[in-house]
Amino acid sequence: MLLRRFGFTGTIFVFFFIVQEAAVSQLNFPAGGFSIFLILTLLWAALSTPEVAAAVGFCAGILLDLSPSTSGPLGHWTLILLLMSYAIAFFSYGDENMRGNPLSLILMVSLAQVIVIFSYLVTGFLFGNSATSFAQSAITIVGSGLWTLVVTPLMLPAVAWLHDLAFDSRMRI
Amino acid sequence: MRNGGENRGRLLLVILIVSSLFLITLDLRGVNVLDGLRSGTQTVLSPFQRAGNVVLTPVKNFVNDITNLGRTRNQIEDLRKQNQKLREQLISRENQDGEIKQLKSILDLAGTARFKIVSAKVISQGSSLAFTRTITIDAGSGNGIKKNMTVISGKGLVGVVKEVFANSSIVMLATDPAFKVGVRVAGSQQIGILAGLGSSTANLQLLDNQTTIKIGDILLARGSVNSQPFVPGVPVGRVTSVSNAAGAVTQSATVKYFADFGSLGVVSVVVRAPKADPRDALIPVKPAPTPIPTVTVFVTPSPSASPSGN
Repeated sequence: MLLRRFGFTGTIFVFFFIVQEAAVSQLNFPAGGFSIFLILTLLWAALSTPEVAAAVGFCAGILLDLSPSTSGPLGHWTLILLLMSYAIAFFSYGDENMRGNPLSLILMVSLAQVIVIFSYLVTGFLFGNSATSFAQSAITIVGSGLWTLVVTPLMLPAVAWLHDLAFDSRMRI
Repeated sequence: MRNGGENRGRLLLVILIVSSLFLITLDLRGVNVLDGLRSGTQTVLSPFQRAGNVVLTPVKNFVNDITNLGRTRNQIEDLRKQNQKLREQLISRENQDGEIKQLKSILDLAGTARFKIVSAKVISQGSSLAFTRTITIDAGSGNGIKKNMTVISGKGLVGVVKEVFANSSIVMLATDPAFKVGVRVAGSQQIGILAGLGSSTANLQLLDNQTTIKIGDILLARGSVNSQPFVPGVPVGRVTSVSNAAGAVTQSATVKYFADFGSLGVVSVVVRAPKADPRDALIPVKPAPTPIPTVTVFVTPSPSASPSGN
């Protein structure tokens, strides 16, 4: 049962990862654009228990770290997504007002996206990654938050449906 | 039970955090296995990326166009301005080239005749609605120009200075209906009076009834007393038709001016004529006909040639 769930979840994440790398990343959207893979991860975490969210965040982080376009050390994305996924799940788990309200989910995921990007930037700086200008970084962080605000409502029904399929849960969103 | 679940969750979290930090440490220490993982991912992803690139190129271009809309518009605007500037420069250059060509031919003509000239640009053309043919040049009394001086172009007589101002002058063109100049036929030295007709042709009236002219004869200015208004020897035009009207006392002809009055850019005012009449020295040289190339084919019979059909 556990294997089927994680197998199904893994397939979905790998599919989104490939779509992100092969398609979305190639479209140079203004202000940094968005990552459907990050949105998927954060949404999935918001709909899961903290333990599952941590595991999903860890695996998603590994996938992102393996991406050729990643400049940071392996484990960088893993650490950030693991912590953020756990945090999202921790705050929203058991709170039906949060999970049952799409607006809350969208706002939470968008805010989490901003925090994730900001954390990645700051920790990357600590790890010795080359830093871009402050203005460019600010545009990217704010831009990714706004893009996520736009894209999350489009992805939410599909992700919720896939999550229900994977965990046999009936969530009303 | 709840405490046990929470502890298990925390334990999982700690294990995952430690694993992440372990991975980071390994990577920062330069473990080669991790580089291999990334290159393996790239190998797996590259076919998808290629396919995505093919499919998404039109979309990508569209997104780029939207993203760079303002920038592209500015670039187009800049290029338009640059193009306009280059066009203006090109027109100006062509205009200057034309003026230089005209000036050179005037200098050739004036040099041959030893005229002292003042060159000037044509700055305006008189309206033909006034039934006069005049031009205004940008040289006046300040440049030594006086009334009744001869005005020439590289091809020949243009007209005569009628009004002089400090920095400009008005020239009556040879095409003006009121324009009259004494001419002689090059070679035969027959003399006549050439009168403007308001077009590029003029009417020649010979003074001697014993002489005849023919089509193609070249007319030169006879010159006036003290070379004013006309200096001698300036090419005027060529006879294009001859009228032999019965009862006419003298022969008349239609003459086409050498000067092209439609494209006068630079003209020269002859401010001092040479002491000696240049006579026929200024007759324009007929353009040499282009030689037709002849092809000579040498055929050498081959010693081993055999008639065809054998």
